[in-house]
Amino acid sequence: MSTLQEVAGGALRVQNVERTFALKDDVVRALDKVSLEVPVGSFISLIGPSGCGKSTLLRLLAGLESPDAGSLLIGDKTPNEMRTAGRLGVAFQDPALMPWRSVWKNITLPLQVMGKPVKDFKTVIEELISLVGLQGFEHALPSQLSGGMRQRVAIARALVTEPEVLLLDEPFGALDEILRRTMNLELQRIWSARRPTTILVTHSIEEAIFLADKVAVMSARPGRIIEIVDVPFERPRVPEIMRSSEFHHLADRLSELLFAGGGH
Amino acid sequence: MKNFSRFARGTGVVLIVLAIWEILGRLELVGQGALPAPTQILAQLWKDRSDYPPHLSVTLKSAGTGFVIGNIIAIIAGAIAARFRIAETLLRGLGMSLFAVPLIAIVPVLLLAFTGTTPRIILAAMAVYFPTYIATMNGMRNVDERLVDVVMVAGGSTTDVLRWIRVRSALPYIVSAFRVAAPAALLGTLLAEFGGGTRWGLGTYLLGSLGQANPSRLWSIGLVATAVAASAYMLFAFIGARLTQSSMSATVQTSLPMGGATGPWWKRLGGGVISAGVVLGLWALVLSILDMSPVVAKSPFAIVRYLTTDPRASVSRSRLFDAYSETLPLALIGLLCGLAAALLLAVILSLRPALGRAVLPFALVSQTMPLPALTPLIVLVFGRSILATVVVCVSVTFFPSFVTILQALATTSPAAIDVVRVSGGGRLKSLRFVGLPGAVPAMVTAARLAAPRALLGVMIAEYLATGDGLGNLLNESRGRLDYGMIWTVATTSVLVAVLITQLFGLAEKLTRQ
Repeated sequence: MSTLQEVAGGALRVQNVERTFALKDDVVRALDKVSLEVPVGSFISLIGPSGCGKSTLLRLLAGLESPDAGSLLIGDKTPNEMRTAGRLGVAFQDPALMPWRSVWKNITLPLQVMGKPVKDFKTVIEELISLVGLQGFEHALPSQLSGGMRQRVAIARALVTEPEVLLLDEPFGALDEILRRTMNLELQRIWSARRPTTILVTHSIEEAIFLADKVAVMSARPGRIIEIVDVPFERPRVPEIMRSSEFHHLADRLSELLFAGGGH
Repeated sequence: MKNFSRFARGTGVVLIVLAIWEILGRLELVGQGALPAPTQILAQLWKDRSDYPPHLSVTLKSAGTGFVIGNIIAIIAGAIAARFRIAETLLRGLGMSLFAVPLIAIVPVLLLAFTGTTPRIILAAMAVYFPTYIATMNGMRNVDERLVDVVMVAGGSTTDVLRWIRVRSALPYIVSAFRVAAPAALLGTLLAEFGGGTRWGLGTYLLGSLGQANPSRLWSIGLVATAVAASAYMLFAFIGARLTQSSMSATVQTSLPMGGATGPWWKRLGGGVISAGVVLGLWALVLSILDMSPVVAKSPFAIVRYLTTDPRASVSRSRLFDAYSETLPLALIGLLCGLAAALLLAVILSLRPALGRAVLPFALVSQTMPLPALTPLIVLVFGRSILATVVVCVSVTFFPSFVTILQALATTSPAAIDVVRVSGGGRLKSLRFVGLPGAVPAMVTAARLAAPRALLGVMIAEYLATGDGLGNLLNESRGRLDYGMIWTVATTSVLVAVLITQLFGLAEKLTRQ
């Protein structure tokens, strides 16, 4: 447990999941018979128009909500079992840091919640901090950091429990385009170090392709997965691939699918 | 340099005012010596210096104990209300009663039930409860939902969320409530000291000095009480500033619980009835625990009997009615004058900021002076008259109203002001067309927040000085051992005060639509 290592765990299987929300005088089918398979250690991006239920799917996988029908399994465990065992990691668009805690102490939060002795994880935390490039800022408060740095803290916090599944809900959605590209490169590097099974919800087609092994395209009302597209690029990927015709071709195809699915 | 010149100007204003005060005092120009010069007050303070330690220590001990007890109860209640909606509904009546009740009406009841300094501690605790309760509840509720998700995903339970997030998130709210609660505890203690109990205490000292025709002594007691209240306030302001690393609002939200009830009318009514039942239940419980004689301790039913079937019921009813018809109009006039003064200063401040800044420090000082210590001074200056009562009332309602109105004026939409400007209007025009209409709901909010203070102000003036109305009825009933009336005044004043704040709350809802 003392240093970072590749994770084990089982494949992630979503089968015929349904979830509806009752509004005042309407029923929204956020997810309609959604099925998805993610092999261990692979990276999948979820793209789709607003309201297609991609964040809902992520919350179901995080064990924060339950489906109305269908099943979600990670290996042979339910998301809630994974959650209570502390085997999941999440990062949101909002870094959601505790404003009164330093960078170091924000990262230790999940360990404290799990009741693990923080001092046993000193090396892990130090490695994580250098992995996300925050050396020298261990004792800074979130208010003293830039937006990108805060997001790095949130990602380090998501990784500190050495999760088997990493759930990212538009983690760079609030950053500007240039910073977003830098963070994409960083995320690839961080992810490659341990390769947790990862689901990334994003609005950006480029980000989805650049990071993922597969891109799942969703449509809205009702929320469905309409196609899963393979991304053929070798890893590690360099930013230059974004200028290749293959990349453009893939991006065009995904945006066609998005528009066909009643998109933006 | 800019800071320095502002500081220099501020000091200049203070020195000028002190000089004018000195001249007025030395020449006895106000109320034949009712306003002594600052140097005379300091000289008196020095002469009486050995009187203060025993009085002050008793007062501080009672206020401090009440502060701790009241806050512990308020924090526990607030935490439970934050967690369970049903608890919030049940506790609403208690919070509302403690917010609205004119504390002085409770003093005789407490003196019947307890001895020594206990009534003082209880009244201090009652004065402290509401601000801390509201702050705890709001602080624990208004947390970052994403942070809650982070803790949940790390395998946490609702207890973990409470432990790692809610408590710490609520802390700055609670400390800023302490700033309000600390002077309130002093106010509660001083009021209870007026009722007696022991021969020590700042309030007792003040009461004993009332008949001595020594204005300097009254003023110096007032200043000492102000100093205590101000230092308690500043202590918690300092802790709060250290604690709040990210910027957050320093004001305590007092507006939520009143308009907080939502849902269909029958549900709100039901909630109201149930929460009123909780208050009555607590009352009955306390009486049965204390095991007091029914001659002295009155249950809710006994009060109803006192006003209906008792042989002297009609006499009691008319005395009660007369007292209310003296007190309530005065409180209303005082409240309206206070609101008008607040609006005037707020308007001046938004038109001529420099002028406003010069007046503000004095408004602030008048605000920190505890009401029980302020009242005798106002009576000294204005005489035992209706005018004095109204001035007391204005002085307690002015400042909270001013803050509320000023906030409303400051938050008027810049775009709307630009529209007026572009059409050729100046500051006055934008105030007339944009600022003032926007301030109307704030005026109603201010009225709701200040109404209980207005009632308390009038009753204290009546109790100490003018010999009219409810305050006097309390005094008389104590003298006549009319236990029924003592309990009736306490109960009805809570009911009337809650009713008035509810009415203003309703008006607030209408104007905000």
